[in-house]
Amino acid sequence: MAKNLSGDMQVASANRLSDGAVVFLDDFGQWTRRLDRAALARDKRTAEILLARARAEAASVVDPFLVAVTESGDGVLEPLSLREKIRASGLTFAAIAAEAVRYA
Amino acid sequence: MPDTHFYRYDDYDRALVGERVAQFRDQVRRRLAGELTEEQFKPLRLTNGLYLQLHAYMLRIAIPYGTLSSRQLRQLAAIARKYDRGYGHFTTRQNLQLHWIRLEDAPDAIAMLAEVDMHSIQTSGNCVRNTTADHFAGAAIDEIEDPRVWCEIVRQWSTLHPEFSFLPRKFKIAITGSPNDRAAVRVHDIGLRLWKNACDEVGFEVIVGGGLGRTPMIGKTIREFLPKDELLAYLEATLRVYNRYGRRDNLFKARIKILVHEIGAERMREEVEAEYAAMRDSALKLSPETVEAIARQFAPPVLRPRRTRVPEVEAMKLENRAFALWLKSNVAPHRVPGHAIVTASLKPAGAPPGDASSAQMEGVADIADAWSHGEIRVSHEQNLVLPHVAIESLPEVYRALEKLGFAEANVGKITDIIACPGLDYCALANARSIPVAQRISNHFAELARQHDIGDLKIKISGCINACGHHHVGHIGILGVDKNGVELYQLSLGGDVDFGKTALGTILGPAVESDKVVEAVEAMVATYLGARRPGERFVDTYRRIGAQPFKERVYGNS
Repeated sequence: MAKNLSGDMQVASANRLSDGAVVFLDDFGQWTRRLDRAALARDKRTAEILLARARAEAASVVDPFLVAVTESGDGVLEPLSLREKIRASGLTFAAIAAEAVRYA
Repeated sequence: MPDTHFYRYDDYDRALVGERVAQFRDQVRRRLAGELTEEQFKPLRLTNGLYLQLHAYMLRIAIPYGTLSSRQLRQLAAIARKYDRGYGHFTTRQNLQLHWIRLEDAPDAIAMLAEVDMHSIQTSGNCVRNTTADHFAGAAIDEIEDPRVWCEIVRQWSTLHPEFSFLPRKFKIAITGSPNDRAAVRVHDIGLRLWKNACDEVGFEVIVGGGLGRTPMIGKTIREFLPKDELLAYLEATLRVYNRYGRRDNLFKARIKILVHEIGAERMREEVEAEYAAMRDSALKLSPETVEAIARQFAPPVLRPRRTRVPEVEAMKLENRAFALWLKSNVAPHRVPGHAIVTASLKPAGAPPGDASSAQMEGVADIADAWSHGEIRVSHEQNLVLPHVAIESLPEVYRALEKLGFAEANVGKITDIIACPGLDYCALANARSIPVAQRISNHFAELARQHDIGDLKIKISGCINACGHHHVGHIGILGVDKNGVELYQLSLGGDVDFGKTALGTILGPAVESDKVVEAVEAMVATYLGARRPGERFVDTYRRIGAQPFKERVYGNS
């Protein structure tokens, strides 16, 4: 399902199939954990192409979709919505257990 | 310690769960190999309680009627440590959620569950979910009969029931065996209350069509007294009526509460009774032998009456103020003199409500083995309960819980907050719940003040689905998203006490996240200024109404 085809700057995101981790599609068609390496679509047409490419590369991920982002003066990307900020950055509080963190 | 006081799997259960593990292992293998699409795989993983949330897969594990042995709790701790991040979240449905499970590990995790007679089947989907019960079951002083026997009968009947595997929507049943309802039975799809009639017979009051979520409803009684041996026939009749008439055209109108609301309780009763008349003497009628065989498994531990007044306990009360407060709030009377029910608070100041690390789970299991006959309960208020503790052991249990951080003397108090995982984890949420709960908890952390404020239940949901039960909080807090900003709608006057079950009333405009603590403080101040001796927060609210609270929170403008 196409989301956020609003003309904002967008990146393609998904959850990784093997562990559900949040990933972004980079310029080389690879899925990366790093938002700063995500391919950036700056207009609606490019976003449509980016989403089509993400879907074509979806074997290792679940349900790719577009995420609206902003870009600061020095090129740092940040999702617009709180939900996507949390997806990109993780929990907004300290989880109870620091012990046995196997997959941090 | 062997699991002697509640149901243990027989060969049939073991085979069923074992087969499911093998099936799911193969399904996961095929998904990872690309042989199944996500569209094909999603219903299969959900059938096994595996959700995909914001950051990871989440495994929802059923804890039948909230009862755990120490062995089972240790196994949950081991699974969380081996396959998750070393902690889990106990939920309002007496389940445990592990929020960081890898898909490839999920079959091994549920195989470990099967080793201790547990599973994650029917923790998702439009089927009968885990039947919940009074967390003091089998120990409560006011109990008429242990509801877990009937929960187990319902579990066996509803597990993989072919007719009810694709209901219009999910279906939740709760059972209490006490007049003081600790299982919130009036806000479930079906609530069952065991009671004794004038002829001294025990049967069920059958309450249908309660629920929270988008359209909160208090359930309606459609049968005042149902003989116990007719329970399954009556449930089957009710589910059959719902399956036939429940709406499938609109997800938001598909729960049984909407059906009952639309056709009325009387018509619902007539439909159920007509269906029931055709099956009351069917194979679903429970034989005394069947019930007794299950009841035997729930035979309570042999507890001999002990001293009710123990000098060591009295001395410690005088020496240790926190212990004295803990005795008041976290220790409840037991049916056997000289024993008590202890609630381990999973709400230490500032902690995420309902979360426990693997080490903490193991610690509670050790305490249960040492002082509670190896038994633990999970409450729908997201705490753990040690149901059979000798009063003379209370100082030791307190100290042991203190080491785990679970001795906060706040059960039923303002920091004993129910909160759903919210937007930090959940794909459905609109706003965060846990950080709001943490701020309230830190603000009101001082125990003496909490006890001065008295019983006050705050319940927080991160979306209208109401997993945090905000509709029935004395203070309910609902997170909403308004143009990308988290706002929190406040409600007052909700309650789940039997006979007083009420839905909260929205106080006024939603407030910004950083104003929630201030608003709660204003409501508490209003209460403290107006209360009469013996009045709880909710009693004062009922007497004086919302206006004084509204004026204090929003000003007079």
